Amino acid sequence: MGRIYQFLDERLNLTPLLRDITDHPVPDHANVLKTRSAFIYCFGGIAFFIILLQALSGVFLMLYYSPTPEDAHASVTYIQNETAFGALLQGLHRVGASAAVIMVLLHMLRVFFTGSYKNPRELNWVVGVFLLLIVLAFGFTGYLLPWDQKAYWATTVGLNMVANVPLIGDFLASALRGGNEMGTLTLLRFFVIHVMFLPALLAIFLAAHFFMLRRQGISRPL
Amino acid sequence: MDLPEENQSLPRRRFFINGIKALAALFGLGLGIPLAGFFISPALKKDKHDWIEIADSSLLKDGEPSRINYSYARKDGWKTAQTPRTAFVVKQASGEFAAFSNRCTHLGCGVNWDSALKQFKCPCHGGVFDAQGRVVEGPPPKALTRLALKVEANKIFVMEA
Repeated sequence: MGRIYQFLDERLNLTPLLRDITDHPVPDHANVLKTRSAFIYCFGGIAFFIILLQALSGVFLMLYYSPTPEDAHASVTYIQNETAFGALLQGLHRVGASAAVIMVLLHMLRVFFTGSYKNPRELNWVVGVFLLLIVLAFGFTGYLLPWDQKAYWATTVGLNMVANVPLIGDFLASALRGGNEMGTLTLLRFFVIHVMFLPALLAIFLAAHFFMLRRQGISRPL
Repeated sequence: MDLPEENQSLPRRRFFINGIKALAALFGLGLGIPLAGFFISPALKKDKHDWIEIADSSLLKDGEPSRINYSYARKDGWKTAQTPRTAFVVKQASGEFAAFSNRCTHLGCGVNWDSALKQFKCPCHGGVFDAQGRVVEGPPPKALTRLALKVEANKIFVMEA
């Protein structure tokens, strides 16, 4: 390991980059060793860690999942009962989804109550709100994928809520549904939104979130 | 370690770096083993094989392999797939029956029986096998696969290899 690192470091001068990422000093008010209540500053990092776990488990779950009404439920049953560690990974992904939403909300509360959203960090708050919406969209689209009764009816209700948007509601709902009835197209587009569109959006907004965080640093203590 | 630090804080720094590395390794293994196991689990599964009835033994000609198309139900992921197969069944001089898979042992093309030359011929790369399935010429590395076979009440059963 050390020699491989040395080889790369000699050629690419990695040490300053790595130091910038890993040796970043944490101010006392956000340091758990110095301030007892500082754990609230961990919520964002924990949310990010859970999102990474979701991405990893999600990519692997796609090995067996099939987004068609004929196969979806059978493929999820197959994952749970006939693959090694499938029940573990599927459970991790399901519980992780709730955990991600919870941690993002806690992170949002921390930012709110420490006043961290104020000047000069307003833009990062705005990006954070988009990240919250993206995480919720992940939850909404992912909930349909097992294609069981709960999934089907939860999505029916969710899309009927969308239909209540003034003026364009009906159009919006059928655009999301892929027609006027839930079916093949609904499942497929929810799957594609879940595994392609949202991850791309998430990556872009997370990059912006972290870039601004590093430029501006952690907000001052109260 | 070129950061200006007190002497005693260096071991502590080392300790934390090693601790973080150990934790990362633990997480890596804790995730890596399930993920790898999940990925390779179909390869660890053994297919279950049953006897498949393919022909009536009284209809076979002595010494002349008969081409028999049959299909069997195979577990295909979460589905069951009706899988077509072809075998050549021959009643040998000894009175015993033998069944050969039609798949050439070179690259898996379907072989044909040439009744004039009494040979199996592969259309793809010129592999030739004799009536016992042994390689006569061409690229095949080994004889045609013999399927397990049993005869019960004049019915011929084979089992997929």
